[in-house]
Amino acid sequence: MSFEDDEILQGFIEESLEHLADIENDLLAIEEGGANIDVELVNKVFRAAHSIKGGAGFMGLSVIQDLAHAAENVLGLIRSEKLIPTPDIVNALLLASDQLQQLIEDVANSNSADISANVTVLNQIYESGESPKSAEKKPRQAKESPPAPEVTSEPAATAEEEPADKGQHVPEESSTPVIEESAPSPEPEPVFEPEPDPEPEPEIDTLNVVQDKSPAKRSTPKAETSIRVTVSLLDQLMNLAGELVLSRNQLLQTITSGDVRNAEAVGQRIDLVTSELQEAIMLTRMQPIGNVFNKFPRVVRDLSKKLGKQIDLTIVGKDVELDKTIIEAINDPLTHLVRNSVDHGVETPDIRKSKGKDAKGLIVLKAFHAAGQVVIEISDDGRGIDGDRIADTAVKKGLITQEQAKVMSEKERINLILLPGFSTAEKITDVSGRGVGMDVVKTNLDQLGGSIEIESEVGRGSTISIKLPLTLAIIPCQIIMTGGERYAIPQVNLEELLRIPASRIKDRVERVGDAEVVRLRGNLLPLIRMSDVFDIERTYYDYQEESFKPDRRENVADRRSKSTPLFREKDTQPEPEQEKTGEEQRSQNRRRSPSSALNIVVVSTGAMKYGLIVDRLHDSEEIVIKPLGRHLQQCQGYAGATIMGDGRIALILDVSSIARMAGLTSLEGSERANELAEAAKDAITKTRDKQALLTFSSSPQEHFGVPLNQVERVEKIKYNDVEEVGGRRVMQYRGGSLPLVSIDEVAMVQPLPDQEDLLVIVFHLAGKDIGLLATGPIDAIEISADIDEITLQQTGIMGSAIIGGKTTMLVDIFEIVQTVNPQWFEDQAVGTSYDEDAPVPTILIVEDSNFFRNQVKGYMEEAGFNVIEAEDGVDAWQMLEEFFAEIAMVVTDIEMPNMDGFELTEKIKTHPTYSALPVIALTTLAADEDIARGKRVGVNEYHIKLDKERLMESVHRYAKESMPSGR
Amino acid sequence: MNETKVNKTVIELATFYVGDALCGMDILKVQEINKLMEMTKVPQAPEYVLGILNLRGQIVTIIDLRRKLGLGTTNLGNDPRNIIVNAPGEHIGLLVKSISDVVMADPDKIEPAPANMSGIQGTFFTGVYKTENKLIGILDTKEVLRLETENINRV
Repeated sequence: MSFEDDEILQGFIEESLEHLADIENDLLAIEEGGANIDVELVNKVFRAAHSIKGGAGFMGLSVIQDLAHAAENVLGLIRSEKLIPTPDIVNALLLASDQLQQLIEDVANSNSADISANVTVLNQIYESGESPKSAEKKPRQAKESPPAPEVTSEPAATAEEEPADKGQHVPEESSTPVIEESAPSPEPEPVFEPEPDPEPEPEIDTLNVVQDKSPAKRSTPKAETSIRVTVSLLDQLMNLAGELVLSRNQLLQTITSGDVRNAEAVGQRIDLVTSELQEAIMLTRMQPIGNVFNKFPRVVRDLSKKLGKQIDLTIVGKDVELDKTIIEAINDPLTHLVRNSVDHGVETPDIRKSKGKDAKGLIVLKAFHAAGQVVIEISDDGRGIDGDRIADTAVKKGLITQEQAKVMSEKERINLILLPGFSTAEKITDVSGRGVGMDVVKTNLDQLGGSIEIESEVGRGSTISIKLPLTLAIIPCQIIMTGGERYAIPQVNLEELLRIPASRIKDRVERVGDAEVVRLRGNLLPLIRMSDVFDIERTYYDYQEESFKPDRRENVADRRSKSTPLFREKDTQPEPEQEKTGEEQRSQNRRRSPSSALNIVVVSTGAMKYGLIVDRLHDSEEIVIKPLGRHLQQCQGYAGATIMGDGRIALILDVSSIARMAGLTSLEGSERANELAEAAKDAITKTRDKQALLTFSSSPQEHFGVPLNQVERVEKIKYNDVEEVGGRRVMQYRGGSLPLVSIDEVAMVQPLPDQEDLLVIVFHLAGKDIGLLATGPIDAIEISADIDEITLQQTGIMGSAIIGGKTTMLVDIFEIVQTVNPQWFEDQAVGTSYDEDAPVPTILIVEDSNFFRNQVKGYMEEAGFNVIEAEDGVDAWQMLEEFFAEIAMVVTDIEMPNMDGFELTEKIKTHPTYSALPVIALTTLAADEDIARGKRVGVNEYHIKLDKERLMESVHRYAKESMPSGR
Repeated sequence: MNETKVNKTVIELATFYVGDALCGMDILKVQEINKLMEMTKVPQAPEYVLGILNLRGQIVTIIDLRRKLGLGTTNLGNDPRNIIVNAPGEHIGLLVKSISDVVMADPDKIEPAPANMSGIQGTFFTGVYKTENKLIGILDTKEVLRLETENINRV
């Protein structure tokens, strides 16, 4: 069949679909009315069916015509009150209207569709209505579906026996089997010129499929290509357009005459007209939300019947208008929510009764305006959502931790239902609970720029509110710049903007595997560099020259150094040499300039959250989305384009597809990053030695620390306890005099304040006790921070570290005592005098930490030894093989990367020639088992790190022992 | 009456240079010719797409005809123009080196294009029009505007 006139056909389709939309609700109303037939309503439906029939006949759409005709016949009977509209009959009519809708939506193929099933059922009803005793017909149906309900004859039965015929509903609602069996019946009613059915079987199949699908199909209506606008609105638009033309003429005149003052007036006028025009045009896109709401009575009816529930649906605010695109997109999430309410929310009648509720549940669908947004509420008076149960499930599924669950409010717990991978349905029904759930709803709403919120009270019901913007056509966006081009990121996706100054990048940005992450309030945020994802040449904005320059860094951490916490120890060494090249020199300067700050846009989409590194951040602007051309459709990462104020185009970024392009997949990505980060953290703390420090002050501004293991004890004393005797400060301590020193005697630090309460930190050195005067507060802490041994190094101070946000100087107590009481160490100095002729013994120091290595090296060199350094066991082994002849002993750390001290010692001690070498282990690990292990592998002596005195004592001892051997 | 007849038989060709090749297309397919060059680059776009342009509120995709026709990246010269043509649902701009005259072509004198014309893939041409001193390749706009993925499907 050829459709000569597309326009007429299109008109017919639109009109018919409109009729059908109304028919559905009207039929439901008729069903509700039962015996009290509202003739006016039936008439309306009748007329609708009639006009579809008429139109179809005119267009030559015989199949549609037939079906409409059959429906019309039945409706005619109802209208003349010859037939009582039972649920059964209404069902048949509803199915027919579904079928009609499908046919009309696919007009071109409608004539080849098979509608015999629907027609047969309708005709049976029609016949049964024609004959005075309708009950007579019923047995026939009963034959086909055995437990057929006998409702027809008694109109009251439907209304009153609702609870009772719940059981009957089940077989009844499946009028499908009825149709199935009647479909292939070889004698289709001849009156309605039956289609030739040569193959009945496939037809049944298609029929079934069609019917099963129908709810799903309805939920995704074809995007409408045309829109109905009231004539008055069109008139208004026309007027405004006229105004605009007039204003333009005025403007042109003004421009030619050069009248500036008038130009202002014209400008204002154009401004006014344009905004009005914009508003009016937006109005044409607005559609009542009733378009979506209208299908829910049917959805609720069908579903509640299927589940044996009784539910009333109340709809409020059908007239609330929303943008067409939103109306279309809201359909699916709303359907899901309504089905959820029916399936999970409202209980079955007996449960409801047992709880003292009305057997009939109530679902309210409500739309209203609030604060420039449209709010849609779906509330039911069902069982409500149990926050504790939700939390339990979430914990079980590993979505949150027990601790997190504990501190959550009831509302927060309920909202856990929105997490991906969450489905509370205890039993999986085909209605809902298929593993996809509320998270999909949330994602859909996120895409629309909407939000969802759930409130619930156990036993009382729940209310789900959805907030939606009025329109999607104009959206607020954050404008950013990368590679010299501007891009827009929808504000909906925007979480926050993050700027990491150049000096902080090291602390904040870390590498986990090949992924970069940033620490944001304790959480790790995966970073995506926009220029990488889009393959844009990397640039950075030079604030001095106000231009973009190419950027050569390989990764973020390179801004300041190649090292990351993960690899710090290894990488810091070679770096200085590498960076001496001219190019790098420049980049070093750049590191300190504002241009090396990282600009990060933290965006979220659904459950995913990540940081997008961009070159520059601009303002937030309201933009109009325009589609990209066909040639650019294949490019990922864009949601469209927009025209900026200066007339240039900016691309709008699609946050979720960027994440896909970068290989971030929903939560897994960030979770993985988290895991890796944890592992990395462990690795860091493992490879780095922790040092226990006692921190104290000796003046309000300065903070000090000493290795805790050197401290004997800490005494609180009064200022008066300090005695000045013979030019020395002492105090009485355990029946003797304890010599006292203060740091300022040796080092250039602030003097001790005059205060009543003082502290004395007692050290035991060279067989004697000595007290260090200090003030509180004191604290014992473990640090693994970097120790800077250059900046603040001076006599008595071995270096500094940042502890608790304060620069803390590390006190070298040996040096202090040595400076104040040089004679204390003279005994040892005497002991270390070697034969002048004998070569100076060489000691191999193996230590991964720069700080400790230099420290120990310092001690050794001070004592006159030669020192060879190695960074770890592997390094040490090489040194050993190279310089074995010179090395007199090995002083090694235990905790080291690559090869640790135990391993190294074992290797030495099992080696045929090296085994005689004494090995002194230095460690912070003083646990018994470690010592035992050390002994087992052959460690000669075990020393706590930085107990210089004891270390030197044994070094001297072993050095002497090795002397006679002639090395 | 007579004039309309003439119009029907004679094709007006808008001619332009793509690299050194003189090409032409039916002037009725041309919406306008402009020299807007403020393009916005689109990262990840096909190589032949130069960028997008704001044409009075419409986003127009600009195709570099040289690259599309496989003529490499010769210098654009100092007078490049965009020929805006109508495509289904959008406008597309074809960037050319310079524009030339409008030529009245007698359809009878249009010859089928040789498979390989001045190094340009023959597929992009519907024919060749011979003037006194020059050959004008008549562009098949449909083919030029076709997406490359579609090309693959077609082949």
